[in-house]
Amino acid sequence: MAESSAEITFKKETVSKLLSSFFKEEKTKVGADAVILMAEMLHVFVQEAAQRTIKQAEAEDCDRVDIEHFEKILPQLLLDF
Amino acid sequence: MLSTTSCLANVNCREKMPTAMDEEERKLQRLKAAVHYTVGRLCQSIGEDHQKEFSRQVIAAIAETTFRQCDIFAKDLEAFARHAKRSTVSVEDVKLTARRSTALSNFIQRKSEEIASANQEQRDTRKKIAGKRKNKDTEMV
Repeated sequence: MAESSAEITFKKETVSKLLSSFFKEEKTKVGADAVILMAEMLHVFVQEAAQRTIKQAEAEDCDRVDIEHFEKILPQLLLDF
Repeated sequence: MLSTTSCLANVNCREKMPTAMDEEERKLQRLKAAVHYTVGRLCQSIGEDHQKEFSRQVIAAIAETTFRQCDIFAKDLEAFARHAKRSTVSVEDVKLTARRSTALSNFIQRKSEEIASANQEQRDTRKKIAGKRKNKDTEMV
């Protein structure tokens, strides 16, 4: 039984550790609600990346979604975020 | 923590001592793997919705991009919190990172409201339970 993409989320612990690993200062922490919200941000990011790539593949009439489709949508994706 | 004396004592010891750098590296690898796992599942689900399949290369690329985007987000969040003279990143900081797109901004705003109301509900439920317990105790006396 396939899960809907809305149910697949990043674990709070993963998001928290991920952000912490990139902080420049040791004392910087992330509030609990902020972690949840960042998990949503990342979820949207991945969804956008995946859906735009699929659209590109569909526009080119390809059955398989390949790296060149992703490469074409990547610049705009990064600009939008 | 591995004991250093046992290794130094053994002259034939060829094992490299784990440095702090290796620990950091391993931690990063674990995080990358965790991101890759969730990205893979998301891509599979979205692919199924559109009856398309993502190549492994694409999933790896999306995972890598997401990982790098986290770096950008984290640095921004830290800068915003610091600007507000805080050391803890808040919901307001997260909302700022979503400022570039109106649609994204609105989405994040809605989500933050959902989280806030969920917290309020939790607080109300806890108060109710605490209240009931109090009444029960006074009744028993």
